[in-house]
Parts: sequence; structure tokens; C-alpha cells
Amino acid sequence: MSDSPDVHAVEIRGASMVFNDGGKGRVAALDDVDLAVRAAEFVSLIGPSGCGKSTLLRLIANLLEPTAGDVRVNGKPAEQARLDQDYGMAFQKSGLFEWRTVAKNIELPLELKGWDKRRRAERAQEMLELVKLPDRGEHRPWELSGGQQQRIAIARALASHPPLLLMDEPFGALDEMTREHMQSELLQICAATNTTVVFVTHSIPEAVYLSDRVVVMSAGPGRITDTIDVDLGRNRDDDTREEDHFYQKITEVREALRGLEVSAGARGIEDR
Amino acid sequence: MSAGASKRGGLAGRAVKRAALLLAALGLAAVAWEVYKAIGPEQGGDILGWRIIPKTNDRVMPHVWEMLAEFGDPAIGSGDQLVWQVLLGYAWYTLRMALAGFAFGAAIGIVLAVLMTRLRIVERGLLPYLVISQTIPLIALAPQVTVIRGSLDLPQWTSAAALAAFLSFFPITVSTLRGLKAAPAESLELMNSYAAGWWTTLFKLRFPSALPHMIPGLKLAATASVIGVIVTEITLGGLRGVGFATIDYSQKVTSQPASVYAAVFAAAALGLIMFGLVVASEALLMRHRPREAT
Amino acid sequence: MSIRSVIASIGPPLLFGVVFLAVWELIVAVFDIAPFTLPAPSAIWSAFTERFGQVVDETIVTGINALIGFLSGIVLGVLASLLTVRFRWIESLLTPLAVAVNAIPIVVIVPILNNMLFGTTSQVPRQLMVTLIVFFVVFVNVSRGLRQVSATHLELMRSYAATPSEILLKVRVPNAVGYLFTAMRIAAPLAVITAFVAEYFGGVQSGLATGVRNSLNGSKDVTWAYVIGASALGLTFYLVSSGLERLHGGSKNSG
Repeated sequence: MSDSPDVHAVEIRGASMVFNDGGKGRVAALDDVDLAVRAAEFVSLIGPSGCGKSTLLRLIANLLEPTAGDVRVNGKPAEQARLDQDYGMAFQKSGLFEWRTVAKNIELPLELKGWDKRRRAERAQEMLELVKLPDRGEHRPWELSGGQQQRIAIARALASHPPLLLMDEPFGALDEMTREHMQSELLQICAATNTTVVFVTHSIPEAVYLSDRVVVMSAGPGRITDTIDVDLGRNRDDDTREEDHFYQKITEVREALRGLEVSAGARGIEDR
Repeated sequence: MSAGASKRGGLAGRAVKRAALLLAALGLAAVAWEVYKAIGPEQGGDILGWRIIPKTNDRVMPHVWEMLAEFGDPAIGSGDQLVWQVLLGYAWYTLRMALAGFAFGAAIGIVLAVLMTRLRIVERGLLPYLVISQTIPLIALAPQVTVIRGSLDLPQWTSAAALAAFLSFFPITVSTLRGLKAAPAESLELMNSYAAGWWTTLFKLRFPSALPHMIPGLKLAATASVIGVIVTEITLGGLRGVGFATIDYSQKVTSQPASVYAAVFAAAALGLIMFGLVVASEALLMRHRPREAT
Repeated sequence: MSIRSVIASIGPPLLFGVVFLAVWELIVAVFDIAPFTLPAPSAIWSAFTERFGQVVDETIVTGINALIGFLSGIVLGVLASLLTVRFRWIESLLTPLAVAVNAIPIVVIVPILNNMLFGTTSQVPRQLMVTLIVFFVVFVNVSRGLRQVSATHLELMRSYAATPSEILLKVRVPNAVGYLFTAMRIAAPLAVITAFVAEYFGGVQSGLATGVRNSLNGSKDVTWAYVIGASALGLTFYLVSSGLERLHGGSKNSG
């Protein structure tokens, strides 16, 4: 674990990802992508289908190896970071094991790290309280609602207190109201744990609400076209969703997605 | 949890309902039997010159009540034991061999499935032969197996267990293979993100998620193992089980025609018992899982 | 299909087969196993080629029995299933019989039926037994296919004020076709095995089982030659019906 302020939590340089190179279905999922994420930063990746945002996330997670370029997590090569378990991951499907209790699901990464029984149980309970489901430990995943299952998935992802959290559209399958509620919960959790987050999403309001920075990507081949700073401050809540500044940022992101340039003066937007 | 209690009540209720339906069905079958017996020709009949209508005389088609009464009759050649007692002994003997065969078959099946999951070349190379192996008629295989057993000087029941294993390993292999491969992709990614090794992933993820898929294969294997033992008894002799009883009683058919059917009932009941054992294990192993909509 | 993919799919089985046969041959040679105990692949092959004509003849006999029974069973099974749509009680009658036939091993059913139908002079009893077994498999699957139609489809047809026969034709039957192919895939190898077992227990002295039985006390290589015939027959039946199923579009339900 590195606490030098000069080392980024995630540093990607010139990463390219080509599938099926030399074959008929050659796909350039990512082309020469650079990205740097600071510690405790919340960064969203947004873009149309095929822009490579999920691929980029998987490069960080070392679930894929880039065909070119360099991926460093926590100052180490991505593979080492994975072997050292420096991150936790959450997917759109909560992916909880239906044959385990909720608590045992949270304990899974800790088991694999070789923690002893008592320590695991304590940490699991701690995480349950963090996600505000303190008495659901002995329940089965299918007894919980979709939103609750995602909270458990997040609890599992953070169980070993990793410095980095990678999320691939975790709220995509939830209805709008639950989704907004989960977004607030997530911000609180990340503030409490000071975790760096890289978050992939399809939803513009979600990206703006959650992030310090929104990274806009385009498809064919996947590239980063824009980065928009969201300066809504650290204490966001439901009222934030109704502020003018919030809507302005949403518009900024939307237009970046449409490929238009954001002209600072003409719209009176504070652009940093 | 009160929900658990109502779940358990529901399970028992369903089992009772199914048992009642089965009994009603058997009753209907008995009625159909008697109806045919009443209207059918005693010496068999012809359709368009082909003798395809079964005979209905008492020797070949006893009345249903005669068959049931047979269980309480004294068994010829077995001292003063009643038929049902003799059959019970035979059934227990067959059941033990079937259980042994099932266990071997399950062990082989699971090992093969794991091997084929680990190495795709093994799957591609071996699976066609496993399919072909099931086209070999067991009756033809039995003598070969027994001769080998004899030369290896193993006890007689191992032939039956081996043939039972032969019939039961295949459905277990196929269903376990399907189940091991059916682990959800995100969960595999998750285990990968934990840098978990292949064998760790096998035990913590693949096997538990394979269990629901394995159950139908285990059910098929259960009845198959009984069939395997019975075939061995019938074709090889020397084993005193239910299969032997059907042969033995069919030779005494002039004096006790219904006894053959008694033995047949016992054979059928045995298959159902093995099946029931798997169902009971399923209820036990899957009790914490969400109920699947069938 | 590229050369590479052909090699990839044929290569491993070929390799495994060759290795298996080689090891078998070696074991017989090294341990000096008598042909009575376990014949070597080479012995089996020569027995097979010597008797090739006979094996083929017997295979045809068994094959025809199996085929006739298979087709009759399908026809009768489909008819019975269609009747069940109109007359629900037929299903309540036949299902327990299906359960019974399923629970009792074929080796037990065959001798009993042999008693009930005599026929030392024709192949018909054997064909009847195959018909019986196939009938139940087809009936159970096809009636399920006719019955388990999506509720949404039924609602749709009701909104069109469709008559029961229209529903049958336009919704139930197409749904059931997939189940029919599945039943055929399951019943095909069963048909061959039933024909084989039926031959084994006496009657006309023809068919593969007769060949097997007559060679049991001698060298096993002849037995295996007939077994090859039986296996090839069973495999052919399976592959053809499996192929038909795939042409139709994959299996609906393994019942």
C-alpha cells in the first residue's frame, strides 16, 4: 500500500485492447487510452455501447491484459494488484452465491485470504452495518430485494477494506427510485471508507451525482473524448439533485456525449 | 422464522398430494387391467392375421387381487416363509448392490466431469466414447464383466455393482458436466478478481452451482443402477435378488402364476425407492436454496 | 468449416480411441489373457471381418424390428397425445402406466410380455414391445408439449375468440413438435435396446441378441463382433434423431 501523494490509485498509459487481432472479427475495443485516478477520487466512465468502458474497467481489474500500454494500480502492475487483492469489484448482477447466507457471501474474499473464522465474522458484521443491513446476516440472498442484494455485493467488495472499488453498472437492474437511494448510500459508504472508485454507467444523472470527474468515451474504436469535472462538493444529498448546477453538469456531459464542444463563456458555466 | 415453518408444511402437503395421486393412478391401472382381462381373448387374438392381442387367461394374466394376495401366500421352496418376506430379503440384497453401483457410478461420473471441465481436450476426446458406451446392450456386457471378475477373483456382487455403475455413471457425468459449466460468468470473474485458483473455484463456486443440475442426472442414475443389478441377476444367476426372483417365479408359473407379478412389483418398488432416496437427498441438500419454478 | 476446426473436433476422439485400443491390445498381450476372458481388439476385429456378412444380416433384422417399433410407437404416441387434449381422462389413465413401465426394467417386462403374446414364428412380438416402450416415451413428452403452452399465447388466442381446434393447430401443435423431437432422441436408443432384449429372451432365432447368446460360451471375440453391430445400430438411431432434433432447432426439454 502506498501513501505517497504522487502515486495515483490508478494509472493507465497508452492502453489499447484489440480482440481477435488478425482474425475476421477484429475489434478495437480501446485505442491508446490514458487515465489517471487520484486516491479517494470518484471517477465515472460513461459512453455509448461499444465505447470500451467495461473493457477499460476490466483492464484495471486485470481480468483482461491490454494488447498495448501499461496499467498500474496502487503503484503496482495490475496483475500484482489483483494478486494482492488491492481492489473490490461489483457487477450489475449482484453475483451473490445462492447457497451461502448473506454473511457468508460477504466473507468470501476473506476466506480466500485465509482469515480465521472469528475475524471474518466480525468483519462481515461490520460491513453489514456499513450498508445498513445489520440483521440480515443469516438470511439467504434470494430473500432480499434487488437493492439490498446490491448493497451486500458492495459490502462484499469492500470487506477486505481495499483502497479501490471497481463497479460495472451495479445499479443498472434497479428501478429509478431504488437507484437514487443506492447512489446516496454509496456516496456515504465511500466517504466513510475513503475509497477510490471507478464507476461504469449508462446514466448521465448517475454519473454526475456520484463523481468528482466524469470521463466521456466514444466508440469505434474506444477512446476517451472528454473529461468533465463535477464540482458539486463533497456533501451531496437528495437536494443536490434539484440544484441548477447539477442540471448544468448533466447538460455538459450530454453534449460531450453528442460530440459538441462545451463553450465556457457562452453558457455562463463555471468551468474548471 | 415463520416462513420456514409454512415452507415445511407446504413440502409435506405436496408430498402427500403426490402420493395420493400415485395411488389413484395405480388404482386406475388396476381397473384397466381387469377390464381388459374381462373382455380380452383367453388365448390371445389376431388383428389382420397378426397375433398381437395379449392372452388373458388366468395363468398369464392373473387378477389384480390374486397378485396382491400372492404376497401373503407361502413361498414355494423357501420353507414356511411368506412371499412378501422372501421378496423383502431379495429386495434388500438387490438394493445393497444397487447402492454400491450407484456410489461407484457417481464417483466415476463426477471425476470424469471434473476432468472434462479442466481439460477441454479430454471433453472433446472422451465424450463421444461415453455416449457410444451407452449404446452397448447391458445384457451383452454382463457375461464379459463377470468373466473378468472371475479371473480377478472378486466376489459375485461386484459384477452387479460394476454393471450398475456402468449404467449410472453416464447421466451423472453429463449432468455434472453441464452443471460445472453453468457457473455464472460474473461469479467466475469474481473468483478471478480474487486471484482464486482453479481448484478453489471448483469447490467454492462450480460444485455448489452445479448441484441443481446434477439432481436430474442422479435421479436417472438411481433407477438405472437398479436396472443394472436386475439385468445382472437375470443374465448371470447366482445372485439372490429381485431379478432372480422374477426368473425363479416365472419357472413356477404353472403353480403360482401371480408370484411373477409379485416379483415385478418388488422390482418396480425398488426402482422407486432408489429414486425416492435421491429426492430425499435433494430436499436435504437444496433446502436453503430458492424454490425453482418447475 | 475450416481444416483447423475439423481437426479440433475429430482429433481428440481419434487420439483417445487409438490410445485406448493400443493399451487394451497391450494388456491382453502382456498379461497373456485368454480369449475367453477378454479378447484383444485385433481378435475382435478379425472375428468381425470374418463374420461381417452375418453381423450385417442380424443387424438388419434387429434394426428393422427397432425401426418398425419406433415408428409405430411414435404414431400411436402422437395420436394418444392428441386425444388427450380433447379427452383429459386419457392422460390420467395412461400416466400411471407410463410410470409403471418406466419403473420396471425392460429385462423384466420382456419375459412377461413374451408369455402374454406367443410368437415363436414371427418378429411381431418384438416389434410390439419396442412399440410399447417408445409409445410411452413419446406420449409423455408430446402430451406435455401440447399441454404446457405459454399462458400468454393462450390469452392471445382467446382474445381472437379462437376455437379449441384452432388453438390446437396454431399454438399447441407447433409447441409440441420440439417435444416430439426430444422424445425421438430419447426413444431411439431405447428402441434398439428393447429390440435387442426382446430377441435375447427367445423366439425366432435371428437378430443380434441371438448371435450374442450363441457365442457366449465360446470365444468372446465373436460376442464383441455382434456387440459392435448393436452399438453401431444404436448409435445410428441416436445420431439420426439427434440430427433431426437439431435441424428443428435444439432441444426444448430433456424429459
